[in-house]
Amino acid sequence: MTTVTIDGKVIEVPEGTTVLRAAQTAGISIPTLCDHKELSPYGGCRLCLVEVEGARTLQPSCTLPVSNNMVVRTDTEKVREARKFVLTLIFSERNHFCMYCQVSGGDCELQNAAYREEMTHWPLQPNWQPYAVDASHPYFVLDNNRCILCRRCVRACSELVGNHTLGFEERGARSFLVADLGLPLGESTCISCGTCLQVCPTGALIDRQSAYRGKETQVEDHMTICAGCSVGCGMNVLTRDNRMVRLEGDWEAPVNGGLLCEIGRFEQQNDARERILTPLVRKDGSLKAATWDEALNVISSRMRPLAGIENSGIAALASTRLPVEALSAFKQIFADKMRSDMVTSIEEGIYTAASSTLANEYGHPFEGKLSDLATADLVVLFDADMTRLHEVASFFVKRNLQAGTNLVVVGREAGELDRWGIPVKATRGSDADVLAAIAAARAGAALESYETQIGVPAGKLALVGELLRDAKNAVIVYGKGMDKTTLQTLVEFAAANSAKVLGLKGAANSFTGALLGLEKPFNVNGHQAVYLALGDDEPSQRLAQKVANAPFLAVQASYASQLTAQADVVLPVQMWAEQEGHYINLDGHIQAAKQSLTPADDVRSNAAALEALAASLGVDVSPDWREQICQRVPSAALEG
Amino acid sequence: MAKPKISSDWLAGCAGCHMSLLDIDERIVTIAELADLRSTPITDLKEPDEGGVDVGILEGGVNNSANEEVAHKFRKRCKLLVAFGDCAVFGGVPAMRNMFTLEEALRRAYVETESTDSEGKIPDDPELATMTRVRALNEVVPVDIHVPGCPPDPDVIFYVLSELAQGRIPEIKGEKLHWH
Repeated sequence: MTTVTIDGKVIEVPEGTTVLRAAQTAGISIPTLCDHKELSPYGGCRLCLVEVEGARTLQPSCTLPVSNNMVVRTDTEKVREARKFVLTLIFSERNHFCMYCQVSGGDCELQNAAYREEMTHWPLQPNWQPYAVDASHPYFVLDNNRCILCRRCVRACSELVGNHTLGFEERGARSFLVADLGLPLGESTCISCGTCLQVCPTGALIDRQSAYRGKETQVEDHMTICAGCSVGCGMNVLTRDNRMVRLEGDWEAPVNGGLLCEIGRFEQQNDARERILTPLVRKDGSLKAATWDEALNVISSRMRPLAGIENSGIAALASTRLPVEALSAFKQIFADKMRSDMVTSIEEGIYTAASSTLANEYGHPFEGKLSDLATADLVVLFDADMTRLHEVASFFVKRNLQAGTNLVVVGREAGELDRWGIPVKATRGSDADVLAAIAAARAGAALESYETQIGVPAGKLALVGELLRDAKNAVIVYGKGMDKTTLQTLVEFAAANSAKVLGLKGAANSFTGALLGLEKPFNVNGHQAVYLALGDDEPSQRLAQKVANAPFLAVQASYASQLTAQADVVLPVQMWAEQEGHYINLDGHIQAAKQSLTPADDVRSNAAALEALAASLGVDVSPDWREQICQRVPSAALEG
Repeated sequence: MAKPKISSDWLAGCAGCHMSLLDIDERIVTIAELADLRSTPITDLKEPDEGGVDVGILEGGVNNSANEEVAHKFRKRCKLLVAFGDCAVFGGVPAMRNMFTLEEALRRAYVETESTDSEGKIPDDPELATMTRVRALNEVVPVDIHVPGCPPDPDVIFYVLSELAQGRIPEIKGEKLHWH
């Protein structure tokens, strides 16, 4: 520990701590613009200058490590003058006109810093040279007139996301934020994760969707869990007048540490599908508005006589986007009480069937944690596509590559991550053959026969083998569609190499679907009635075809779709932001989602709709979902 | 002690700051009791007294030779000069035109406007003031007190006027400090 005195306070901090962080732990606030707690210190804005006893000049506190018995002063006349001067220079460098800026009035860290130093005006004139505004990106606008060159966005893009799209060209006052080597943002390698928006201290990077729709003081924050996929990122849903204004990553969230992907941040805010706001019952060939009681009565009078009839009773399918509470009620109603032989999820187990079978054979979890990616020196993606879903997990991999982590991308199809690592693309052979080839490479065996078998050059296989031999903390990530035997080989291979294994899984509650045994292929063969707990999921064409000839179809859904048009009864349910509930992410974190929007009067939560259905059917369901999910061995240890 | 004399005028602004001044409502009576309100754009007297006044208040930036003349006259005749509102302090909304050439700005205003049905003509009467870049007041003459805001809040205006009327220099900070 090192002892430092800041403004008369004696503080003990670990060696290497910066003066800025030491001050913050003692509750002393030093203004800064380029510093961000999630990013490495940069020392670019010079606003955090402090007086250090014995030092010839003022020192930037954000990059200065404490040394023993250092004496620092943060609020002297000299320091205050320097801050004003620094701000004066920053304001003069570009064109910061608050009166027509989106973030003015509380959301701008530059303006707030000027207020703090009691600046009533700019002692130096602004630049007046107009800089280009880049509006080529679908989600955000880059206005170089408002950029203060703090490089937070550049650091976020490389240090947190690992995408390295943003950078600076030129030097000094001519420095310019550019994407790639000067491409418009919309044509660049930007993957639209929006992390740069979340760290920009000024109005240089602004979100199109939320611009001018409410300042931080006018919106409500709702800390919740993203339902976009099984990574389970913590996020803040900012709302105003019961409308979503913006979605932001939660810096404090254990899983994602503030990051979101394009789906999480932008796409789920732009859902243009038509809502279903009232129960509907088919009368004389067309769907008519009905009460909940009427709708439930129609379903229960059709389904009650079908209880327990094998192959001719009820087929039921649920979305893996539903909260645990709803999935637990769903499983109890249809599998336990109505004893249907066809109760499954929309994923039909393609992501999880192999892993849950294996975990139950082993009798213990075998998968590691997402946090293992942080310490991995080698990551092998085995048919694990993280380009759309699970993209935030790919950031955990990409951001470590520069520090020397190796990446091997095993698969059949080309993917976005190929260019970040060593692509191993088999052109023939099975997954088991590919795995055998890799195991042989690891063992240093002759690889020519494998080259013929899977169509990957022996030299490349040898390289992968060498990386596996050298790795101390390898992580193997597998995706969907793997059979149990191959997975078992993979898991045993990993164990022999002291490597961790991660299964990506599918939607937000994919893991819950597995724990509840909702994993079998969905088929309607002579079933008299079909119940689809669709929630806010988007049904596939294939699903619509499968149920097209069902004698009776009931759907609980948030949005109108081909399926609701086909249905005999439709129950209106809440979408992700309207309902509370729990989600179990891919590595077993049990997390609570909160309500962010108030739903319309007649729209019930997915769990409430299923509970009402249970009551109408005259069956009891236990609200204790924790007991329900304990009936099978999880593939990753549950926590929370 | 004689009541301090206060004059005001508006330059390249929208008159909104003066409207905000009127928004101090009945408190203007208090100001009138404490100070001698001389020339303003909304009263009969149009120029600060030749013999000088104590406080001059200018709204708006400086965007032509006529504004320059007023700014210099105020500086000469006022002991304290106040830049009143974001246009006077920073250049404000009119300063957006600085991102273009004067020719481009004039063409947009007189020729390319959607409401111009015939050919359009840029005014060229030699009597007209000469246009310049839009400048903050402190770029043209020294300014003693800056009161930012677009417009400044009436409560801030009342505070500033009452301090000045009582011979004190107002301090714009904390809740009183807003740039827009």
